[in-house]
Amino acid sequence: MSARRLPLAGLLAALALPGPATAVPADSVGRSIYLRGVLGSGAPLEGTREAGVVTTGADAACVNCHQRSGLGSVEGHLSIPPVTGEYLFHSRAQDASEPVLPYVESLHGNRDPYTDATLARAIRDGLDSQGRPLSYLMPRFALSDEDMAALVEYLKTLSVHRVPGVTDTVLHFATIVTPDADPLKRRGMLDVLEQFFVQKNLFPLKPSPRMLTSGKTQYSKSMYMANRHWQLHVWELTGPAASWRAQLDKHLAAEPVYAVLSGLAGSNWAPVHEFCEQNAIPCLFPNVEVPVIAERDFYSLYFSKGVLLEAQLIARTILGPDDHPAAGAVEQVYRAGDSGEPAAEALAAQLKEHGVTVHSTVLAAGAQGHKVTAALRRAALRKDARGQALVLWLRPADIAALGDVPAGAATVYLSGLMGGLEKTPLPAGWREHTLMTYPLDLPDRRGVRLDYPLGWFAFRHIPVVAEQVQTDTYLACSLLADVLNRMADNFARPYLIEQLQALLEHRLITGYYPHLTLASNQRFASKGGYVVHFRNPGGTALVAEGDWIVP
Amino acid sequence: MMPQSHPHFRRHSVLVRLAALTGVALLVLAASDVNAADDESSAPAPAASGQIRSIRKYAVPAVRLVRDDDKVVSLPDEMNDGRPIVLNFIFTTCSSFCPLMSSVFAEFERRLGADADKVHLMSISIDPEQDTPARLREYARRFHAGLEWQHYTGTQAASITAQRAFDVYRGGKMSHTAVTLMRAAPGKPWLRIEGFLTPDDLVRDYRELLAAR
Repeated sequence: MSARRLPLAGLLAALALPGPATAVPADSVGRSIYLRGVLGSGAPLEGTREAGVVTTGADAACVNCHQRSGLGSVEGHLSIPPVTGEYLFHSRAQDASEPVLPYVESLHGNRDPYTDATLARAIRDGLDSQGRPLSYLMPRFALSDEDMAALVEYLKTLSVHRVPGVTDTVLHFATIVTPDADPLKRRGMLDVLEQFFVQKNLFPLKPSPRMLTSGKTQYSKSMYMANRHWQLHVWELTGPAASWRAQLDKHLAAEPVYAVLSGLAGSNWAPVHEFCEQNAIPCLFPNVEVPVIAERDFYSLYFSKGVLLEAQLIARTILGPDDHPAAGAVEQVYRAGDSGEPAAEALAAQLKEHGVTVHSTVLAAGAQGHKVTAALRRAALRKDARGQALVLWLRPADIAALGDVPAGAATVYLSGLMGGLEKTPLPAGWREHTLMTYPLDLPDRRGVRLDYPLGWFAFRHIPVVAEQVQTDTYLACSLLADVLNRMADNFARPYLIEQLQALLEHRLITGYYPHLTLASNQRFASKGGYVVHFRNPGGTALVAEGDWIVP
Repeated sequence: MMPQSHPHFRRHSVLVRLAALTGVALLVLAASDVNAADDESSAPAPAASGQIRSIRKYAVPAVRLVRDDDKVVSLPDEMNDGRPIVLNFIFTTCSSFCPLMSSVFAEFERRLGADADKVHLMSISIDPEQDTPARLREYARRFHAGLEWQHYTGTQAASITAQRAFDVYRGGKMSHTAVTLMRAAPGKPWLRIEGFLTPDDLVRDYRELLAAR
């Protein structure tokens, strides 16, 4: 990520920010020790625990426990303290004029402030600022003086208070809509966002007093977050995808935002994902069918892998538990440029690994619906002697125009997300042959988790025009509100991601998803799905083929 | 360090009791019975102290898990092949203390040397949907897990059932605590150790447990 940071755009964005710059050279030695466990010499960092357990390289990097924000974490009984400069060096304030640091749950406050020398001793010898031993979990690191200085310098730059998009009275958020997004879903999403922000801002605002030490303890007054106005900026992108990045940079320069909340895409979200990663902006739970799967990225969180998860579910079903393909050949049908294209590519790659022949029938983006039927007939002629599966990555309009079932298609797989889930207009004759991927909780099971958001919409007169998009948007908003409540006045952007990753699994009202969980290095909160068939030739009743599958 | 909290002292007393009580059915000792001193989390703890040992009787639930070689297995079958069991609960994206616990398992295997193939090390995922068998294999490779150490996943429900059975379920993976369990043979009670162990601790506990068998 850091290597691809765009110098000009980044510079412009940085110049537009109020307050002190937070820039750390992207490849500084301190940063590479902290995040990657690589020393200035290029050698791996090595940490040793008492009794000889050695940890090296990325496994030994500080970030594993102290987190990217440097603000630590709490797991069970264990609290890993913050190691940002301000928490390490902050004096035990006696002076009532000194500002108070925001509360962090994992703070070990009962010690003298560190100095550069005692901090080096802590890292090398495992003794705190008063010479007491640190936890067994904390390894000892034999850093050279140069590496130590670089690391300490990095810790001093971590999580400084000024964060773009956060003022004393306002939190700025953007939501991003790409030009190919469905207009109905766009309206439904914006209705929910706008109402949520209105609701959030109902409480009377008055500037909160600057938090000062009470003299009793330096942290006693720091647990509260100033109530800030939530301001929504809707960034509507236009034109071809190649121009989106420049538009986003321009929006950001004009309206610095703290995070990107929800959002809506057609088949391509990648430029937005990259924009968020490169500008270190949290990008929270957009409504996208094709998220970006990049294990090493940090700032983008998604509800699921969308159609790419459906591709995995179909692959798992075709290959079976023992990787013995149930179909000798697979024919896929999708429209060029739609979400089915990357999904079909992902499925083909996975099936080909196991010796399954995969053909694709690609419909031009603007082709008429009846062309689908013609293409299917051609596809049926390629029928393999060992049996064939047909995979449809199609929208409701194309599905409605499918016509008669082509001869020879043993099993039809249909993308539920693209095809309209249980309301898909699949012609009756197709239904007994069709398995649909359903990477959500089943309709008869999710009701209780939808009651609250749907009631919330009803009370606020929000028309339900795209139920899943709207309830997902509501879920994204309420997760953000919950997590900000936990963060006191600590707005470090990585901390927002870390807190969401930790908090999510405790969420009960999870809308369309049976449950959601994240952790460090996890970006996709719902990890599985069902494969279902229709109970009857008509109607929307579904029957799951088996349990929830995690491919 | 206060004398009554000395790890060796407590280990000894627990194992004496374990030896005395072996064969007595349905024996459950609360952790507080055998733990003289608890650690205050605010005071930085010295290395690997704060361990709490207790002897417990657990009913192994008849739950099906998926082993890291993709095989669906029954938990009782995995535990009842006659070998002593050393068990913990981990998840692969846990970056704080699971890697430490897994390093200690790896070092434990190494130190047992030729005796390693007489033990069965088991690590059950508490984040089973993320931890597919493939991810578990990758995790096991990261710690150079030997042949006698298997990792398990399964459905969310199966993992929670296993966690509850061994009293390690705390409502979610982010609330987990460091617990190591060991049992000398099928039908025997379990030695439960809460807190971090060093490889030395684990080897010593294991050898004492076998000696008391």
